[in-house]
Amino acid sequence: CRKLDIAPTDSYSALNFWTADANVYNALNNNYSLIYNSDKYFTAEGLSDNAYSQTNTDAIQIASGNATAQQAKFANDWSFYYRTIKSCNQFLENVDKNTTLGAATIARLKAEVRFIRAYEHFNLTKWYGDVPLVDHDLSQDEAKSIGRTPKADVVKFILNELDAALPALPSKDQMPAAENGRINKGAVLALKARVLLYQGDRMADVISVCESLMNSTANGTYSLNPSYSNLFSDPATNKTNPETMLSLQYVPATTRTWSDFWDFAPKSVDGRVNSLAPSQELVNDYIMLNGKDITDPTSGYDENNPYINRDPRLTATIVYDKYNWNNGGGVNGKTKIIYIKPGTDPVKPGPDEYSPGRQNSSPTGYYWRKYFDPSALINYVSGNNLHLFRYAEILLDYAEAKNSLGQMDATVWSKTIGALRSRAGFTEPGALSYPGSANLTNIIRKERRIELALEGNRIDDIRRWKIAEIVLNGYVHGAKFSGDPATDNGYIRAQLRRFNAGRDYLWAIPNGDVSLDANLTQNPGY
Amino acid sequence: ARPTINFTVNAANTVSGQVLDDQGRPLPGVTIRLINTKLGTVTDVNGNYKLTLPDENAGGTLSFSFIGFLTQTIQIGNRTQINISLKTDTTRSLNEVVVVGYGTQRRATINSAIGTVGAKDINDKPVLNAAQALQGQSPNLIIQQSTLNPGSNPIVNIRGVATTGNNDPLLVIDGIVSQSINDINLINPNDIANVSVLKDAGSAAIYGSRGANGVILVTTKSGKLNQKAQVAYNGNFGLQQPDILVKKVNAADNAYYKNEALANSGLPPAYTPEQIQQIAAQGNGNWDINHLVYNAPQTSQNISVSGGGTTNTYFISAGYLNQFSNFIGNGGSGPRFGYQKYNLRLNESAIVGKFKLTGILEYTKSRNKTNTVGDNNIFADANRVPHNYNFYDANGNYLTNSFASQYNEYGVLLNGGANQADNDRIYGNLNGTLSITNWLSLTGVFGGTLQNNGNFFRRTQVNYIPSGVYGNDLTTFDNNSKSSSYNTQVYLGLNKSFGMHNVSATLGVSSELYSQRGFQLQKTLTDPVFGNATTGTLIDATNSYNCITVQANSRQSAFGRINYDFKSRYFIDFVFREDASSKFASGRRNGFFPSVNVGYLISDEDFFKPIKGTVNNLKLRASYSVVGNEQTAGNYTYLTTYFNYAGAYGYNNVIQGGAGTNLSNPFLTWERARTLNLGFDFGLFNNKLTGTFEYFNKVTSDIQQTPLDVPSIFGASPPTANVAKVGDRGWEFEITYTLKTGKVTQSFSPNIGNTYNKLLQLTGNTQQILYNQDVYQLIRRVGDPVTQYYGFQTNGFFQNAAEVASYPKPAGAVVGPGDLKFKDLNGDGKIDDNDKKVLGDPFPHYTFGFNYRIAVAGFDATIFLQGVGKRDEFLRGELVEPFHYNYGTTLYEHMTDYWTPNNPDARYPRLATIGSASNTNNWRTGSDLYKFNAAYVRLKNVNIGYTLPQKISRKAGMERVRLSLIGQNLLTFSKLNFYDPETTEFGNSVSPSSASNSARSYLLPKFYGAGLDITF
Repeated sequence: CRKLDIAPTDSYSALNFWTADANVYNALNNNYSLIYNSDKYFTAEGLSDNAYSQTNTDAIQIASGNATAQQAKFANDWSFYYRTIKSCNQFLENVDKNTTLGAATIARLKAEVRFIRAYEHFNLTKWYGDVPLVDHDLSQDEAKSIGRTPKADVVKFILNELDAALPALPSKDQMPAAENGRINKGAVLALKARVLLYQGDRMADVISVCESLMNSTANGTYSLNPSYSNLFSDPATNKTNPETMLSLQYVPATTRTWSDFWDFAPKSVDGRVNSLAPSQELVNDYIMLNGKDITDPTSGYDENNPYINRDPRLTATIVYDKYNWNNGGGVNGKTKIIYIKPGTDPVKPGPDEYSPGRQNSSPTGYYWRKYFDPSALINYVSGNNLHLFRYAEILLDYAEAKNSLGQMDATVWSKTIGALRSRAGFTEPGALSYPGSANLTNIIRKERRIELALEGNRIDDIRRWKIAEIVLNGYVHGAKFSGDPATDNGYIRAQLRRFNAGRDYLWAIPNGDVSLDANLTQNPGY
Repeated sequence: ARPTINFTVNAANTVSGQVLDDQGRPLPGVTIRLINTKLGTVTDVNGNYKLTLPDENAGGTLSFSFIGFLTQTIQIGNRTQINISLKTDTTRSLNEVVVVGYGTQRRATINSAIGTVGAKDINDKPVLNAAQALQGQSPNLIIQQSTLNPGSNPIVNIRGVATTGNNDPLLVIDGIVSQSINDINLINPNDIANVSVLKDAGSAAIYGSRGANGVILVTTKSGKLNQKAQVAYNGNFGLQQPDILVKKVNAADNAYYKNEALANSGLPPAYTPEQIQQIAAQGNGNWDINHLVYNAPQTSQNISVSGGGTTNTYFISAGYLNQFSNFIGNGGSGPRFGYQKYNLRLNESAIVGKFKLTGILEYTKSRNKTNTVGDNNIFADANRVPHNYNFYDANGNYLTNSFASQYNEYGVLLNGGANQADNDRIYGNLNGTLSITNWLSLTGVFGGTLQNNGNFFRRTQVNYIPSGVYGNDLTTFDNNSKSSSYNTQVYLGLNKSFGMHNVSATLGVSSELYSQRGFQLQKTLTDPVFGNATTGTLIDATNSYNCITVQANSRQSAFGRINYDFKSRYFIDFVFREDASSKFASGRRNGFFPSVNVGYLISDEDFFKPIKGTVNNLKLRASYSVVGNEQTAGNYTYLTTYFNYAGAYGYNNVIQGGAGTNLSNPFLTWERARTLNLGFDFGLFNNKLTGTFEYFNKVTSDIQQTPLDVPSIFGASPPTANVAKVGDRGWEFEITYTLKTGKVTQSFSPNIGNTYNKLLQLTGNTQQILYNQDVYQLIRRVGDPVTQYYGFQTNGFFQNAAEVASYPKPAGAVVGPGDLKFKDLNGDGKIDDNDKKVLGDPFPHYTFGFNYRIAVAGFDATIFLQGVGKRDEFLRGELVEPFHYNYGTTLYEHMTDYWTPNNPDARYPRLATIGSASNTNNWRTGSDLYKFNAAYVRLKNVNIGYTLPQKISRKAGMERVRLSLIGQNLLTFSKLNFYDPETTEFGNSVSPSSASNSARSYLLPKFYGAGLDITF
């Protein structure tokens, strides 16, 4: 007879887990893996006016204003963030059981985990408003009765946590290369700047946080990477550059990869279905090389040849008709012209051509280029990092804050917008020099949209600027391929969107949790 | 003078012998009495007896009696040995030897609900597994399919759903508990002698903590004593015709409908009138299901040799089954897709004095070759492309088009590689019984199963024209899992009569051990021909593991059954088991499971005599018991554990491991089911009409389930706990009527059962929980059936602008004529969550079967109907929603009944595209639009045979030759006419987290074949 006490032969128990240093690091890494994911990263773009997703149910429903309190993404994202928070709290409450790592190391690990916990709370409050603040490992009973903490208090908690984490963390310059990707002072300040910026009324604080990075190297030395496109596409630059402040880390040909680009790329270069297509509205916001909007009659913009003399980031970000797809080899090695306009591809039927009612070509006539990884494995399995915070964002935060306080001037401009445009490849003074007082708010907002396109920020920005009811109402468009010049001047109508300002600025609290937690109230309108 | 009593026993005054039944099997428990004396004895387990006779009674008369058999009397004369065979009573149901767990009982002595299925109901069918053979044979033994793919496992259920956890019955094969009910599919159906279905807890209590869902006891065939060797062959061969129930509209119509959908959504048309004409001129292509399937052959071949001498028996069999898949192709190399099973069996017994030894050895190999994309994808891709496209061109190129994402499943089936699953299983069973006295025996059993399951998967590259590629990752994986289970039992058997008092008992102990361990290695960019590593091959770390399915558990148990009857008229039994399981923490692991059963053979009473000529037999029964269920719990749920895993994150491009936590519940213990069973057995009109009726009421409490009252703010799935309570009640009725007129013998055996379940407690005080299941919802609500469909009730369509303006709508909905109206159930003038209601439940009700047999001269026929009287089914996907979710781009003929001003009473709303307000209102809002009536009647089997006259067959050296024609699934009657109503999306737990039914499962094969049976 065998005994009835059978312990698992492939896992640790509470008695022996935390005492082993390697296990503590494994638990830390687990928390890192739960920070965010590629699906959330890219789906956010489909919720905004930058893109239209024809296959992602949640993006279709939410972007079109048809979401309900049952929307899967509302529940899934909510539980994702709280799962991460629990994992962080378990770590924070147990890591002291380890007696061999040393106090300084434990303090650093705790600071990293507190950053992650703060970041999840930030995401929660960003989407849902007032949310339960979970600062310890909840019991089941506590979870059934916890109420919502006012957003202002959640933000206060986040900022306090970040302030507490900062001294325990090294600066980027203090970290050995092997720790590249770990949370450091720069990451903390970048999140702090974003949290403050999103409040709208903390611009002076934004300025001081940005200046602690721009004017000092105590928190790490950062600068813009010389090449914009290499930040996303060049496997070496993507991993090691002076600009990244925190990225979701991936490793090629391992378990830690992402392959969303499979459904972004044109079919002729081995794309699968098209799950996210850039909008004409985004394309229109790329200015001309001379710095002028395409709507400016003096800009030189030609609607029949629309992609020339544009912001070089257009070509780095978006695949348009007759795009010269060149990746210089790699597994997916293709160098070819992408024909998107119906009937133009010498190959019949053209695999990338726009055609309504099909799902493997773009419903807008545009594809993505940004984040294309030439070293990706088959099916676009990529190990490139996805940037959460870049120094470029600090410059944009700074420009926006300065401008909102009426402090924008030629000096600030040249350090921020000017620097970004210069790095992007603009050379003409019309683009680089300070435009004076001419509609600076719009210029800065457009610059933010263009610089950070496909990095998930646009939806946050239009929500905090409260312009969603303008930009998410009516049709989202594609290129001028619809064949019906009478409707919207021949631009493709991809999807009709509505935005209910009285409701849609906050996501619904998942109705399941509302029913289980008597103290959890629903947001208005759901 | 009075003679001197001589106490010395001499040989002349002893009589001994063996009692057999009319099948030549030893008959234990036969009462032997010396007439006109009080002397008597009972046969032992081997049917042997020995009786010492006083001198004055030498040469008297012995009577041999046993319930269910005709009593025989024999003059001893001067014989010292008398072997006899008892003839069975004409009442079939009373005579049947019923396997009851750690022993057998005569039907007449059983006081609980036990259904039996004999070999004749299993053989003669071209069935692929024993579960299929059992379908419809016993009321409330419910067999459902989630897919009909060769080698797939049916869902076996007894008496419906009584727990929100696992409702799988326990399977016991020749006395050894199986790890999974699916093992029933590995047995060769031709090796089965009989199957007992222990439906109520009164009988299942002997299996204690695992008896709550009922028990299926399978007994395999054995040879008979004193029987010359008999060689039996049976084989059948036939074709399976896939039943395709759907048809695409032609492509020009499809384009027209697409334009209509776009127009209704405020979007420009996709096709000009010229383009539609061009499409019409093209005609239909071959991109459809019909070109992915063929009439696939299926054969089953079995041969057995059986017989026995005076002290030994043997049964040796070999079986071969080959069922080709209905999918075309072989993946590029090797045999076609399909399932093969090989069975070898050796069942032997030997009697050595008072000791009987039985040995069973069985080897089963199954191999299943399947495609590399999954059936769902195949059907979805074939379904979603308009009919003017082709899978292939005249040169054999595989084509893609702008509608299919990138796959051409025709090419995948022919050249995209395959998965080959190989399962090997060795089952051994040694059983020794010692007859200590003629009323006491001791049995020891050791049984073990070694199983090895492996998969070899290889995806190969298929190039498409004009573009697209499948399988260029060239993935290959090997995985393997080994398991072993051992069961040791020792039990005492007792069987003694004291005058009119008959007592029998079984008391024993059992120990079980189970362990399992597996691994997988996966690589990509492997050699395109062999799948092994070559230049550029990568290890796929995500999908390679050293330890998967590492499991172990053990159980120690004591069990017993005490049967007592007075005059074979008044019966009472006590059955119990005490179990201790490693799945629970010390202090929570022991459970005691008792049952008490009573029976009353009322037809045996004097007052019954006036009607005994009509009502030949009537027995009333009742049982009450407490049994358990421990299946839902994992092996280590009571322990908090931490697991390390590879590849959580990376720093500086170097991969890092991670660690996660498994939350625990140290208080976890069994589920407990309390069951009351009432029943009666009857025989009428000289037992030509026999039947059984059962009623049961079962309440399962402490159900093992994930607590549902924990919001996701908790941050993890809470560990399994004993939280829920479910009631399940129902009834079942079966009768058999035998009619002999001249040379014609007919029998009619209908059976029907019904069950109702009711959720009594969900978790704590939670009254209900909703689950989003794609486009509709499921609800679990206290007081209602365990799982139900939930949503809005439709109320026809908006017919005009006036209705649109006046009728309540969901908040923010922008609807027009042709969109669905929903009932404003609470009358508050708006449509919101408060207007949702239960729309149906997925449980099959009134499940029935009907067997009809007729024999005339050499001809015989069996017709078997089976069905479900009431069931709701929700279906979604491209076969239900036009232009499904931008994923499907087609419309099917059965969907063309949609709303237009000229078709105001349509089945479906007006056409619209995804993302439009109209589509959101109609298809994304979760209503009974998706509900279908899945009641059906199916002509499941027809078997028409002709047995050659023996004078002809004997000339050819054969005892018996029977030729037969076999049909299966020939006709189905159902209101659900585009999808097989038998399939269900739910497993045996009716789990609300099951994926919704997208109507993409494997097609129902209709079988047409012929069979041959020869006995030498």
